[in-house]
Parts: sequence; structure tokens; C-alpha cells
Amino acid sequence: MLNPAHIINQLFEMQSRINEAGMTANFERNFKRLYSLFEEEGYIIQDLTGEAYTESRTDCEAGISGKIGSRMTITRTLKPVIYQKKDGAVQLLQKAVVIAENK
Amino acid sequence: MKPVNFGIDLGTTNSLIAKYEASKVTVFKNPVGQKETLASVVAYRPDRVLVGDKAREYLVKDPVNVFGSFKRKMGTDEKYYVVNIDDNVTPVQLSSLVLKELKNFIHTGETPEACVITIPASFDTMQSNATLKAGQEAGFKDIFLLQEPIAASLAFFNETAGEENKDGYWLVYDFGGGTFDAALVQSTDQELKVVDHEGNNFLGGVDFDFAIIDMIVVPEIIRQTGITDFEQEFRVKYGKYEKLFYEVMYYAEEAKKELSATGSAYIEFSTELDGKKYDFSIPVTKEKAGEIFLPIINETIKLLNNVLRNNGLTPKDIRQVILVGGSTFLPQVKEQLAEQTGISLNSSVDPTTAIAVGAAWYAANKQYEPSIEETAAEHTEQAIETANDILSNVDFSPPDLKVEVSYNKSSRDKEEVLLIFCEGTYEDKYYRLVRSDGGFDSGFVQLKAKKTEFLPLIPSVTNHFTLAIFDKNYDELKSLAKEIHISQGKYAIDGQPLPHDISIEVDDVENKTTRLEAIFERNSLLPQKRTLYREISKTIKKGSKDSIIISILEGDKNSRPLSNLTIGCIEIAGKDLKTDLVKGSDIEIQLHITDSRVLNTTVFLVMTQQEFKNVFSISEKKINLERLKEQYTSLEHELTNTVKEFQYNQREIWEIKANALLEELHTVKERLFRLKKNDKSDEKYIIAEKIMRLSQEADKLGGNERISLMIEDYYYRKDQVKETINTADFEKEELKRQFIKIEQSEASFIRSKNVSFIQTKLEQLYDLHWKALGNTTSFLITKFVEFRDLGPEYYRDYNGAKSLIKLGNAALEKENYPEFRRHVYSLSGLLHRADFQMNSDFKGTGIG
Repeated sequence: MLNPAHIINQLFEMQSRINEAGMTANFERNFKRLYSLFEEEGYIIQDLTGEAYTESRTDCEAGISGKIGSRMTITRTLKPVIYQKKDGAVQLLQKAVVIAENK
Repeated sequence: MKPVNFGIDLGTTNSLIAKYEASKVTVFKNPVGQKETLASVVAYRPDRVLVGDKAREYLVKDPVNVFGSFKRKMGTDEKYYVVNIDDNVTPVQLSSLVLKELKNFIHTGETPEACVITIPASFDTMQSNATLKAGQEAGFKDIFLLQEPIAASLAFFNETAGEENKDGYWLVYDFGGGTFDAALVQSTDQELKVVDHEGNNFLGGVDFDFAIIDMIVVPEIIRQTGITDFEQEFRVKYGKYEKLFYEVMYYAEEAKKELSATGSAYIEFSTELDGKKYDFSIPVTKEKAGEIFLPIINETIKLLNNVLRNNGLTPKDIRQVILVGGSTFLPQVKEQLAEQTGISLNSSVDPTTAIAVGAAWYAANKQYEPSIEETAAEHTEQAIETANDILSNVDFSPPDLKVEVSYNKSSRDKEEVLLIFCEGTYEDKYYRLVRSDGGFDSGFVQLKAKKTEFLPLIPSVTNHFTLAIFDKNYDELKSLAKEIHISQGKYAIDGQPLPHDISIEVDDVENKTTRLEAIFERNSLLPQKRTLYREISKTIKKGSKDSIIISILEGDKNSRPLSNLTIGCIEIAGKDLKTDLVKGSDIEIQLHITDSRVLNTTVFLVMTQQEFKNVFSISEKKINLERLKEQYTSLEHELTNTVKEFQYNQREIWEIKANALLEELHTVKERLFRLKKNDKSDEKYIIAEKIMRLSQEADKLGGNERISLMIEDYYYRKDQVKETINTADFEKEELKRQFIKIEQSEASFIRSKNVSFIQTKLEQLYDLHWKALGNTTSFLITKFVEFRDLGPEYYRDYNGAKSLIKLGNAALEKENYPEFRRHVYSLSGLLHRADFQMNSDFKGTGIG
């Protein structure tokens, strides 16, 4: 049985690398569609880049770059956070792996 | 006396808790993140205390407030000064916090009073006593200590089947994330004892990650960039490459996991170094990994050999090496161990949980005297009166503290503010807020008269939080706990919720009918936007009269399309197409419903690259006449079957009602089929309204009693199908997959209490049953014999049938059943079918 989290991670990595190569526009529709397929299966996928980082966030494992401060931001998401909706409840399936910095 | 049952692996790096029950051990998972392991790290952050994985993130950056590996300091007088609280904490206090956190993993609602805690074989009396003290501070009244190598051996001995005599010497090789231990265990007449041990507290899995970084990644970065001081700068705290260091740490760990699974890996990343962009793709081959891991593995084997040598033993004297700890997953570790020691390896127990599992097995045989409170709580249900007598002597009155919360129950924001108000003695108490999915944990925060927390919300779902209150020893005051529920994107006061589901009608080609697929669910907050991706279910030629119908309906998503009100309809005909639209090509349907319930629909045909836009007002009805005729036929067929079903089950009253509906339906038949496409009268709306009402009434026939009977029938058929699948000889996995799919939707369709929805599932089960029979050799033989004896009048091509019968006989004789099955299938295809071909020219919507 395929592990959906592994596929989502590969998809996320591909998208990040395509973004870095400046080719986002060419594949935007395809990625949107692929993510929507997972959403239909009950997976909620989140890229945490740009969000505030706090010590209460147990949805991610952070590598803290630079000094710790009161206004930490997630500057890079290496693995997205994945939730799964099942029988009306939401469960954390995979914690994100992120880099947090004081901005 | 009562068995202890709970076992705890209080590790240097990670800790676990397990329970023995009914001859089985269960390892509990952290409700925050669902991991079995808890990082043995405590962080005293400026306003809260964190225990576990989150605390570990701050270990490097805030070493004066965050503590890990304190197990090594147990039994010493060492104290850690915590800057943030301006006080000292002891290793015992830190360990007790980890133990208390592990108690939160127990989802069964039990609060154990006794447990087994494992300790390294090397622990002296002082260290052992310190562990006992930590257990007591964590609220355990009775604590039993067990040496880790014995726990691992117990897990292995008890989890592996067989009555084989296990007497003799065994080696326990425990290679964890940060520590290594080798122990010689002797088993005599089912008694285990640790004879000797060796260890290194600074050798673990993380060393493999650093080997990959230092010996593969860093040299490659230097080679490609020419940055000579990269190596010196790379690992510097707050250095210019620090962010990259954390990224590479992650990639190295992933590569290590991939090495365990596939043998080789690639580390790929893009980064900017000194103003220039680089793309790296660094291979980590099996050979290279073997070479760089060797010194680390050799260090462990050296310690293992020391144990043997010190006890005058040779590898031949050892029965097996029992592998424990996450690092033993690495194939290089196993290969070197086997090659260099020549002792057979045993990795039959899960290396991550083995010690906790062994501790639980040991706990099953240890007894303790339960306290009055526990006894009373246990017997409450059986003997309330007796318990009340006992409880009258115990003070259960709530503490002198009142906690109130204030928050919005619905929100459209990403986070919501929670206000906590306290009255009474709150100064020495803590609160902790946890989101039930595991994505948020405030840690232990000191209570104040008024406190504010920002609660992050997952979009479009109801977020459940628990607010728990703790005393100064971090023991929970359970009577003060509160549940907090906040719906994100639903029921907000500044927007109106949808009163009914809004669905799209799609084809169910297999059953020659259509079904509903929800787009926006009832109570979703307006406005809403969604894009659906589907396939075209029939080919439409450019210029032809054939069309695709995008029909948007309002009502119950679980009912048949006919019972819903059509609120929007777009028809794309062959004449509108630039090129042919081939079956299977993609269609994107974007739907947007505004605050004022105006529905905007945009359809994009990927194959022809055409876009169609339409805006509907929900007050304006749209009806497609051809679809209406098809729906009429479908309802007529269903009602006819329902009448037959009621006749068969001798439900006379239901039968009379169903017949009455069928008769009423027949009254519109002539009018409907006489209508022309360009009819301008209101007739089609009147008929559509009537059909919809009849369809809704058909759903109510027999009421709850019929639904109960259908559910009963479903469970009966389900068992039957399961049994047939078990005896199937072909495509068993696929059949099982289809069975599981139906089973998974069980909760939703039973809850729906909708006749047509349950009926659909019953039919799916029925079809699956036939499919399973068609993959069972004995059934195929019976059918073949039956077909073989049929005369020419039963076949469309009798000569062809005769050839197939000949081939079938030959295959059967050779016992070539796959071939035999093919011939039976082909033969059945040649039979004249007398079945009622309902909707044989089914057109549907054209959307699959």
C-alpha cells in the first residue's frame, strides 16, 4: 500500500524546486490539481513558509537558525504538514520540517 | 493485589510507555503528533514549560534553559540552574516531568499507581534510587526497576513464539539515537540475569548523519564552490551557513532512512552561497555509506568483543545477538555485526519499542496493593453504595480555584483569541492547551488572573482544544478541565450558512445512472469557492447533437439527484466544440457561490482548451428536458423494483404506498415524453417539481423500519461477501480492496439514513459478491458444466461456443485454472441475455 505522505512529500519537493527554477507558472494548474486530489481524499496539506513560529506549534519540527527571538518566522518548509480527516475528526499525519528564523 | 501492567522505558534520548493486557502489549502514542516516542528533553521557556520533541528544538540555542540527557546525571548532586525561572532543577525533577508527560499518552483514561521503569545495566544504587524518586514524584506509588538488557530480552523471549529452550548466553546490542550499550545476558531455567555490560553514552544514530555531512556533503560543496573555509564556518553556531546546516541535517537523516530502504540515496538541494546560486545532487552509494559508517560500527563491535573477552567467552558461546535501538535498522550495522562476530542476529522485535514492551511483560507479573481511591474508582459501577462509603472519607472537593474561558465559537481567521480568567489560588498552578489533532500544545503555562492565548485553527473544520489545569507538581486537577470547540469557516455570525448541500450530478456509468457529489456542504459559510477536476465520461464529436450537462443541485447530498432541486445547468453541445472531446479527457469546473447566493460556474475543457462561463441566480430554475426524461425512467424503474421488494417481503402497507406513488408518476409520463425541447410553457417545471416530490416521498417509504431492515441486510450480505472473497482463487487482493472501500464508507451511509444511498451500497455489495464468485474455481466449474449442457438456442454463436467448450474442457483437464476461467468468461459472453436492459441508451451528464 502506498503511503500518501511519501507521495505528498515528493510532490511538495518537486514544486519547491520548480519554484526555485522560476518555472511556477508552467505547472501551477497541474500542482493545484494534484493537491486537490489529495484534499478530496481527506488530506489537508499546508506549507508553513511565512507563518509565525512559536514554541506551541507542534505541527512542525524546526531547525532554529540564528538567535531565538520573540518574532520568529518560518522561512523554509522542507516537508509540509499533513492532516487527515477521518470519521469527522482531524488528525495530524505528518509534522512539517521547517527552518525558523528571527525576523 | 493487582498486576502492575505498565512499563516505561525512561531513555537518555527518548522515552516510551507500554501496557500489558490480555496477553498483548500495547505501546501508547503521544496524543500530540501520534508518535510512540517522547524526546527526554525539558525546556523552561520564558513563560512556559515544554516537555518532549518541541523542547528538543531549543536544546542547542537555549542551553541554559533547556535540558536533555539528564539520565546520565541521575544519582549525582548536580543541579541545573535555569535562567528563566531563576532556580535550580535536579535530574530527578526533570525525569519526573518526562514520566508525567508519558502518563498523558495513556488514552484509556487510567491513572496508573504502579509501573515498571527500566534502567541501564550500569546504574548503581544511587542512580537506581534517584529513578525511584523520579517515579514517586511523577505520582507512582509503587515502582519496580528493571535493567534495560533484561527488558529487551524479555520482549524477544515473550514476543517470539515457540517452546524452544532459551537457556544460554545472549548478547543485547542496544544502539539508540545517542547512546550505545552491549550487555551479556544469561538465561537459566527461565531466569534472566545481566552478566556484564559495556557502553558509550556519546555514540548513536546521529553520528551516522554527521558522517554523511562531514565526509560526503561538505567535501562536495567545497569541490563545487571552491569556498575554502566552508568546513570551518559550516557548523558554527550563528554562523553564515547555519540555515543551510539545518537543511543539510534534514537531508542527511532522510538519506540515511533511504539507505535502509533502498541501499542508496541522493541528497539534492539548491542554495545560495556567498551570493551565488548552486544546485547540488550528491549521490550516497551503498559502498560509500559502508565505508564512512564503518568506524562508528567498529566502535560498537569493539565494546561487544570486550564483553565477550572479559567473560572468557567466544562468539560460539552466544546463542544470538538481540538487536535493539533505532540505529539497528541500518543494513550496514547488521552486515558488519554478522560478518565480524559470526553470531546469528535476531531483529524479530521492534528495536524502537523493545525495552518498553519488555518492561510491560515484566509488569504483568508484578503485583501491588491498590490505594483506596483506585479501588473505589474501579468499583464505582458495580457497588456504588460501598464506594460512596469509602469515598466519604476522601476529600474530592474542587480546589479553591475557579477558571472561566471566553472565546468565539466560530472564526474566519487563522487563529482565535482565548481569554482565561482565574479566581482563587491560581499563583502556583499551570494550564495547558492542546489541540486534539496534535498540531498545537501550549506546554505548561503559569496561570494568572487574566491570560490570553492565540489558538491556531485548521481551516474549514471544527477545531477541538482541551484546557487542563495542573498544580505546582504538574499533577492535573481533572475537575477543572474544559473543552473548547471553534469552527473555522463555519457558522460565523458575519456570514450566512448554506441551508442545504449543493452538489453536482455526475455519471455512475457502471450502474447506468447518475449520482450526486457534494461541492459545498450544508452549513458551510458563504461565500464559497471550489474547483472540481473530473473526466469526460463519453466522447462528444465536434458538431454533433450530443452534449455534456453540468447540473448543480440543492438538497441532501446522500439522496438521488432527482430528490434535489436543480439550481444551475450548463449544457455544452458538440456544436460548441473546437475539436472532438474524447472520453477520459479532463474537465475543470470552478464553482463560486456568493454571499447573496449567486452561483458562478466556469468550465474549462483541457483537451479543447475552451472555457465556458455562466452565472445563475438561485431563484432561476434550469431544467434540461432530456435529463428529466432519463430521470423519470430511472425513478419509474426504482419504484417498480421497490414494489416488487415489498411484495417479496410481504409488506402490504408499504406496497400500497409505493404503488400509489408509481401510479402518480405515471400520470405525468405522457405529458413529459410529448414535450419538445423548445417548449416555452411552464409544463417542464411543473413536471420536474412533481417528479422531485415523488422522489423525495419514495425515499421516505417504510420509514426507519425499512432503513433498519436494509442495514440488517447490509451486514448479512457483508459477511457473505467476506466469506466468498476468502475462498476466491483469483484477484483476491483487488476484491479485498473493493470490499474495504465499501466498508470504509459504512459509517457515512448508515448515518445518512437515506434509503437510496443505502440501496446503492447494497447493490455494490451484491455486484462484488458476483465478482468474487466469478473468481472462484469451484463456482466457475459449476457454471461451465451448466453452459456446456445448453442447446444452440441459448447462444448467439453456437460454433464459437462449441470451440470454447472444447478449450475449457482441455484447460480443466490440465488443471490450468487461469486459462479455464478465461474460456468460461468468453463462453458467458456468447449467451443471449434476457436481462432487462434498463437505460441501455443511457446518456447521463457526460461527467464521470
